[in-house]
Amino acid sequence: MKKIKLSIMTLAIALSIGGAFATSPRVTQTCQGATQYYFNGSGYVLAGKMGVDYLCTTSSNICTYYKVGSTYVPCMNGSYCTANCKTDTKPPKTQN
Amino acid sequence: MNKRQVVLESISALLIMLFLYASISKFLDFQRFTGEMNNQPLPKSWTPFLVWTVPSLEIAISVALIFERTRMVGFITSLALMTLFTVYAAAILLHFFAYVPCSCGGVIRKLTWPQHLVFNLFFVGLSVMGIILQRRSSSKSIFITKNSFV
Repeated sequence: MKKIKLSIMTLAIALSIGGAFATSPRVTQTCQGATQYYFNGSGYVLAGKMGVDYLCTTSSNICTYYKVGSTYVPCMNGSYCTANCKTDTKPPKTQN
Repeated sequence: MNKRQVVLESISALLIMLFLYASISKFLDFQRFTGEMNNQPLPKSWTPFLVWTVPSLEIAISVALIFERTRMVGFITSLALMTLFTVYAAAILLHFFAYVPCSCGGVIRKLTWPQHLVFNLFFVGLSVMGIILQRRSSSKSIFITKNSFV
């Protein structure tokens, strides 16, 4: 009985620690580790520090980009926001 | 090992996997976690407290769930924490806050807010089941111990 219990616990601990390391950004090389830029309508500008200089609020837009060579690739989904961030609670009006 | 004990061990294992994975992931990329915490619609002054308390509590719950003697405390704390996360996800979805933060990055973090809510509710259910089964098995073992002395 104790052997089964020990096996279940060992497996759970090993899977969670292994899973955390396997999906860590250092291993998966996610874009969030790179310098973030945002598109201001005319060009790409340094975004700053997430949560401090800007927020990404939920939306289907692209919040930030990161640079691969000379091209800017989408990184974080959402809307780039720096002050008085609000999300619309009402659905957008449709024109008849 | 009877059926109830197997279920109890499996519930503990699932909760350990959830909390240990979540806490280690946070500590492995602490800077990003701090940024994501700042991205939440909570007072920014809470961030230094939350970034240490949440993952530490998750590790403490995992350790408590491993040992038979502390398992009940583990289940109760797990229920409390998961209920708190569920209420927060529900508040986000109900637009209780000024904005809805993005749920970005990671494996669990890739879930949308409605998916987060369902995911949290599942683990709230598991914690409740764990408390019920643990209470039953504890009272049964007390009964056996009492009878063995008679």
